[in-house]
Amino acid sequence: MKKYVTLFLIFLSFYTFASVDVYEFETPEQEAQFRHLIDVLRCPTCQNQNLSGSNSLVSEDLKQIVYEKVKAGESDQEIVQFMKKRYGEFILFEPEVSKDNLILWTAPFLFLFIALTSFFIWYRKNKGELNE
Amino acid sequence: MITKMLKALSVLLLFLGFIGLFYWALSHDSTELPSQLIDGPVPEFSVNDLMQPESMLTPEIFQGKISLLNVWASWCAACYTEHPYWEEYAKLDDLQIIGLNYNDKKEKALNFLETQGNPYEKILFDVKGRVGIEFGVYGAPETFLIDPKGKVRYRHVGIVSPEVFQDKLMPLIEKIKLGF
Repeated sequence: MKKYVTLFLIFLSFYTFASVDVYEFETPEQEAQFRHLIDVLRCPTCQNQNLSGSNSLVSEDLKQIVYEKVKAGESDQEIVQFMKKRYGEFILFEPEVSKDNLILWTAPFLFLFIALTSFFIWYRKNKGELNE
Repeated sequence: MITKMLKALSVLLLFLGFIGLFYWALSHDSTELPSQLIDGPVPEFSVNDLMQPESMLTPEIFQGKISLLNVWASWCAACYTEHPYWEEYAKLDDLQIIGLNYNDKKEKALNFLETQGNPYEKILFDVKGRVGIEFGVYGAPETFLIDPKGKVRYRHVGIVSPEVFQDKLMPLIEKIKLGF
């Protein structure tokens, strides 16, 4: 039993190493920047995954581009801009607030406000009855 | 009595509103992404022609002609289904059919053309997939309609069936011919 567990753990560790060491960087800062970017950028084909979680053809190419740009010393903003120009707002895993999606960001608070207000109006109106 | 009716009516309206919302949300294909290039110039590129490796292709090739740029690859299953349609569209006058061989191996791409036919006047050989990324390609097949000034007018993701060609592309091609 112990043997199998050890074997299992060995395989597990191989897997982890393999997925980390594909890209090599000169500084830990660059590596951190790369990791951050592939986390916030979305895979255009798979849509529910970010680049780091996807190995589709397009994702691999985009990761390679991010890697090259990070090594060339480009800033997060420059790289994100490059992606947005080609794939649109969609490429960001978490969309930025803009006038097109303002409703999505404000709607929950708006609904909460409406619900609370109507509750209080109802409550005040029925206060007498409730106390009886 | 009236308040009761108003209440019932508001519930009905809310219900219909939700039905409308769900209908819209479900009939709307959320996997199709809008192209960032529409009404903008074709992105810069400079790649070899798959068939004539000695000649370089640049956005110049779109000047003065109405073009359809079809993104294809030998690994793309839907491209085999789509291919016979391109043979038909290639017969049309005043239309230049350009291929973009995306992320492919040369031998495989050539083999595809040998077995399936070659409807393309020119083929961008995008071995690294970088031209595809410039065009915002996220899968194959994809097709771009490009006007004689080199402006991207439309992008279709998926197979360009005769229906798509008639309903989506033809009206735009007619418009471009009229000078718009």
